[in-house]
Amino acid sequence: MFKKTAIAVSVIMMSITTAQAETTYRIGITQNNVGVDSYQTTYESAFEAAAERAGNVDIVVLDAGGDVARQIGQMQDLIQQRVDAIIIWPTNGQAVIPAIRQAHNAGIPVVVTNSKIAEAGLEFIAAFSGPDNVQQGISSAEMMCDALGGEGQIVQISGQPGYTTAMERAGGFEERLAEACPGVELMETQPGNWNRERAQRVMEDFLTKYDRIDGVYSGDDNMGVGALNAANGAGRADEIIFIGATNFAVGYDAIERGEYYGSIYQSPVDDAEAALKTALDVLAGEDIPKMNFFETPKITAENLEEFDRPVF
Amino acid sequence: MASAEQSKPRLLTGKLSKAGMLSFLSAQGILIFFLLSMFVFSFFSEQFLSQSNIMTVVRQASIIGIIAVGVTVVIIGGNLDLSVGSMLSFSTVLVVDLHDKIGPTNAILLMFVLTLMIGAVNGFLIGFLRLNSLIVTLAMLSAIQGFVLIYSGGQNVDIADQQGTWFAFFGRGYVGGIAVPILMFGLLAIVMQVVMSYTGYGRRIFAVGGNPMAAVYSGIRKNWCVFSTYLISAFCVACAALVLGSRVMGSQNNVGQGYELLVLAGIILGGTSLLGGAGSIWKTVIGVLILGFIQNGLLLMGYPYYIQWIVTWVIIILAVWLDLANKRKRLFTTHS
Repeated sequence: MFKKTAIAVSVIMMSITTAQAETTYRIGITQNNVGVDSYQTTYESAFEAAAERAGNVDIVVLDAGGDVARQIGQMQDLIQQRVDAIIIWPTNGQAVIPAIRQAHNAGIPVVVTNSKIAEAGLEFIAAFSGPDNVQQGISSAEMMCDALGGEGQIVQISGQPGYTTAMERAGGFEERLAEACPGVELMETQPGNWNRERAQRVMEDFLTKYDRIDGVYSGDDNMGVGALNAANGAGRADEIIFIGATNFAVGYDAIERGEYYGSIYQSPVDDAEAALKTALDVLAGEDIPKMNFFETPKITAENLEEFDRPVF
Repeated sequence: MASAEQSKPRLLTGKLSKAGMLSFLSAQGILIFFLLSMFVFSFFSEQFLSQSNIMTVVRQASIIGIIAVGVTVVIIGGNLDLSVGSMLSFSTVLVVDLHDKIGPTNAILLMFVLTLMIGAVNGFLIGFLRLNSLIVTLAMLSAIQGFVLIYSGGQNVDIADQQGTWFAFFGRGYVGGIAVPILMFGLLAIVMQVVMSYTGYGRRIFAVGGNPMAAVYSGIRKNWCVFSTYLISAFCVACAALVLGSRVMGSQNNVGQGYELLVLAGIILGGTSLLGGAGSIWKTVIGVLILGFIQNGLLLMGYPYYIQWIVTWVIIILAVWLDLANKRKRLFTTHS
């Protein structure tokens, strides 16, 4: 990949003879945990493809494997290599701030992708690019309210405890639901750790505990389908509205079958392309906002055909 | 089991000495604790002791339980198997992915063969090359995780036709009103309990784990015994993968992550010695069920599931302490 890009870049460089010659940027990226889920895996290949298309970019692709210490080490490596910009998918929104500050002090602009870092670190980054997870939670709350007609009792299966995306989605959902839909009661929230089997087990316990459940909000479709499995097993899927986020292929299919009400369409390809574009804009010295959110629309049976089936 | 027999005469004579009490607690403490915790949970939650909830918990616990049956045999034989967690990820991803490609029957057969091969590699390295089982299986744990990621390219795998496939039988089916995972768990536990208690093979495993030198001098082929325990462990993992894959109808790379520790926790809780040569399958079953009921009970009471880890820790410490206290006949040591 690296070689291909380098060759592509050098071919372009050779073919350019006039003063219009573009500068080639070296951009390093340290990702959270490629391979742990389909989203991140697709993101990585989309990022590499986007860099190849851009032409004037050399990329150094690193993966922290979910380990904060390793990610900090990778940040320091990238600073040593004097790359032109660093894109970081934080493993932890707090612990990576000192490393980001180091890059900032070394004059290397840092773009945070996908998942936000804590408030204290914002002054050291050039920009953030990613989905607006609070807004996603809000959209899911609105869908839930519509689907239930403003009345009912629901449960929530959230993502990994302590993970920013999980907290923001849950926060946006809970706040919006309380304010827009006081007739819908959120009875209980349990973490499902982004894991379908875990979510399935949690939902089985919910089904035992509550005789009446009108809706389930899951932090992503992977967990949402686990909840659907559990409800199907208990023969209670018909009486429950399922709403998720980050539309997965299994969720897309379930919407198509009419078993799953809706989700939020979030494409890892859009996410990766937005990150690269933001980094290039920063390097080109363009005046861009600090927070750059790409579109993550609601998806239900009504507008399903407007979207491609997710690749993950 | 040995300590249970010791405690009986003392109890029967009516003289319940302190040591007798200790040995009774250590031998039956796990059952007492089990009943006690069931009582406490049922006090806080009406649904806890309902038949449907008990069935749900046992079904949920059966994946861990099936694996624990196999690992108990390995541990009785004097070794450890830490590779079961990622082996479960591997086998589940494999059987789910192959289901749509080569059909359920072939997928299941191939999955069993490959899983047993991993077990054979573990068994060869530990049984014949006499490498340390902790190191071998720990290394295997990460190696398999690597294989899974290479195989799946990090993508989730799913079964397309979830309603129509008979593969659903293993995780979602019922026979005579009892869920198939529970039946598989029960059947494996009973068969292995009988094998370990009443066959020459079982006695040889106990001998190898208890006193390997004596076992060799008495003509037991230790290498083969150790090797076979890893095949049993791998076979159980393959059965668990069948249940898990069918239950979820999909798999992700980290699906079995951390299961090795849950399995060990259940085994230790049941009172099987990690040093080998002692233990029993049915106590492992109780240990695994306790973990399952604690998780479910805490959730029904409204606590987040990770509280169970702390509770589990307390219980394990208590279990190990009581066991040790029984061996030295007092609760605390006299000299520091």
